[in-house]
Amino acid sequence: MFYRLLTLNWRIFISNLNRFQLLLTIGYILFLGIMLVNLIGTAIVVVLMDSRPWMQVELPWLTPDIYKFILLVFGNAYWLMHFSFTNMRLLNIEENRKLLGFGFPLKRLAKYLTLIGFCHPVNIIYNFTWVIFLMMQVDFAYQVPVGLAAIALNYVLIYSVKHRFIRVVEKRFIAVVVGFLFLVFGLFQLVSLFASNSSRIFAEFIPQVETVNHFLSWLPGGILIQTVTVEYGWLNAGIISAFATLLIGLTVMDHFNKTKEGLLNPGLKKAEEESSKLWVILRKVLGRNAGKYYFYVMKHPYNRLQVLTLTVIPLVYVPLLLNVDFEIAKTILIPTILAGIPVALLAMGMANMYGYENREFLLHLQFPINLEKQLKERFLGVIVLPLLVFYLITLFELLVIPEIGSPLQIFVANTFFFLMFMLLFVWSSYFQYQRATYSSFSYKHPIIPQKVTFAISFLIFSMGYLVFVPLEGLEWYRLTIMSTVIVIMVIYLWRHMEVLVNLFKNRVLMRLWNEL
Amino acid sequence: MERAIEIEHLVKRYEDEPVLKDLNLQVPEGNIFGLIGPNGAGKSTLIGVLTGLLSYEEGSVSIHGMELNAKNELEIKKLIASVLQPPLLFEQFTSLEFIEYVCEIYEIEKEGLVEKAYSLMDFFDIKDFAKIKVNKLSSGSRKKLAFVTAILVEPKLLLLDEPFESVDVISIERMKTVIRRLKEKGVTIIITSHILEVVENLCDDIAILHQGKIKAYLDSVSRKDLQKDSSLHEIFEKYVEVEKKDQIVDWL
Repeated sequence: MFYRLLTLNWRIFISNLNRFQLLLTIGYILFLGIMLVNLIGTAIVVVLMDSRPWMQVELPWLTPDIYKFILLVFGNAYWLMHFSFTNMRLLNIEENRKLLGFGFPLKRLAKYLTLIGFCHPVNIIYNFTWVIFLMMQVDFAYQVPVGLAAIALNYVLIYSVKHRFIRVVEKRFIAVVVGFLFLVFGLFQLVSLFASNSSRIFAEFIPQVETVNHFLSWLPGGILIQTVTVEYGWLNAGIISAFATLLIGLTVMDHFNKTKEGLLNPGLKKAEEESSKLWVILRKVLGRNAGKYYFYVMKHPYNRLQVLTLTVIPLVYVPLLLNVDFEIAKTILIPTILAGIPVALLAMGMANMYGYENREFLLHLQFPINLEKQLKERFLGVIVLPLLVFYLITLFELLVIPEIGSPLQIFVANTFFFLMFMLLFVWSSYFQYQRATYSSFSYKHPIIPQKVTFAISFLIFSMGYLVFVPLEGLEWYRLTIMSTVIVIMVIYLWRHMEVLVNLFKNRVLMRLWNEL
Repeated sequence: MERAIEIEHLVKRYEDEPVLKDLNLQVPEGNIFGLIGPNGAGKSTLIGVLTGLLSYEEGSVSIHGMELNAKNELEIKKLIASVLQPPLLFEQFTSLEFIEYVCEIYEIEKEGLVEKAYSLMDFFDIKDFAKIKVNKLSSGSRKKLAFVTAILVEPKLLLLDEPFESVDVISIERMKTVIRRLKEKGVTIIITSHILEVVENLCDDIAILHQGKIKAYLDSVSRKDLQKDSSLHEIFEKYVEVEKKDQIVDWL
């Protein structure tokens, strides 16, 4: 039965792909392969770096303590990465829950889905890299079961915590945002303190590296490393493994219960009186039509999480990269990360414009208002906020990091970036339509199709290199090409807005009509 | 008598499959018109065409003397309100917000609107849900909210696709009362339903739609003649040529 369920989910996945999406999926698989090779490669290099004689000649400062420090930093940083990538949105729970109506036992379905949920390629890649990283450091046979149990326990814990975190953000959004900003600004202060006194701190740090290592070894990544570097004997190994297995069992059980709950209650429904201040504000700012649309965008719990991520990531990375003495970080990475923020906001609103309202949009079509007017209003309403952020970021770059280029270069590059993605999202909205789900326990991305999400993240960094990499004497050629493309795109969009109406009628309308 | 709807040689295809085939129909103004037919007959598609949501390939459709085309589209839409199956509501709004939004679009006088809305909601026992989000309402309450809103926009043509499905018996009776009241005010009401008893009691004229064509049009006079000897159910079975398939499930 498990095999049949796996086949069913595979069929659901494949039947939703067109040729282009299939190509994107192949690209995604290649990307995952490259990621796996890179991660394992880095892990191997880190583990082996002190055992090569030429390294001791080339890097005399690499004492055993410093080596241990690097190992621990890698382990803990990798653990953090693992936390942010553990994918839990894999399956279409709405489709799977229909099986309950055909008599598929709830417990068995929840058990199988829990199992399949753990098998996402990204999860497998990260855990496999952990296995390679830890197993290369094993000194005694008894460390093997403990190391493996620790990897499994770590994974199920992250998986479970992430699910809870999403639920907390859905319910206590403001509190979480304030808490995060507090943390981020604390970190910001620490980073600037470190940056301004780095040489003194570093000089003081070297003699104290052992203390720092001690601290790092008790952080999650450090504990994982300790499972294969500390001597504790077979008896302790047995006790630790048994205890870890018990915890794994309990956590999986907890996840199994959450899956069961998700299958039975696709959305939380509690009839309470509600007032929508957000709707009142958006209506005033964007008007009745676009305001209603953006209200739907902002009400989606997943988008709240996206906004939180968009606020936190640049606040952490940009100050860090600004203090790094590495030219590429300033000229390519920072502008790419910053240019990605309005793009991500645009993606939230535009990549699946009709999926939010879904079938209720048919009611708008019955209103005595011209369809072209309605579509245009939504289109323009959606770009207001990203455009505002776009201008703020351009201004920030001009004032804070002018070394990335002249004002004209920065403005043209950002505009090009913004417009190219806007076209991608217009295309996505009409050709990659999917119904946005509101399930409290969704296994897949509830708004934007997975393929589009992948294309966006892949293109942001490719485009970053294309647009921001310094070209010295050839800069004017690139500027001319980008400006020409911008002018053509703006004229095209301005003069052919009716294309949206035809695309809507040909691509989206019948899907809305048929979708129940 | 004026015609509320005039359809001539209408053809509607889904991809290459015709769903409505050379359909002809006239509905008099101020009529409660019942459209019945088996599943897949094309009832909802016909409602979709009349609301302007679905385009059609051949033929012509006129509503209150105006041909349904791009030029007249907005004028016609001002005259029509509908309750589709399942009803179309704004899920993230409260019931009252939804009503206000729709009425504003149709430029309904703001003064007294909320009172009217409350009294109608009270009539259908959904007054307590006025400030509750639409996505938290039961299917019956959703249907009633869509019906209330459709009435409040003061249409000249009201299209009701399966309006009584999942609605309780008491509310069905109240809906029938309101529909009769609207007829008195000159509103034309088109109802599709599978509950033949309700259609039989409520509607003036009835058409039987089968395989994309109107198989029979029963106006009040012909209905009297036909229904002397047989019920609407028997007439329906005759026109849709129901096959006796009892022996197929003998194994049950």
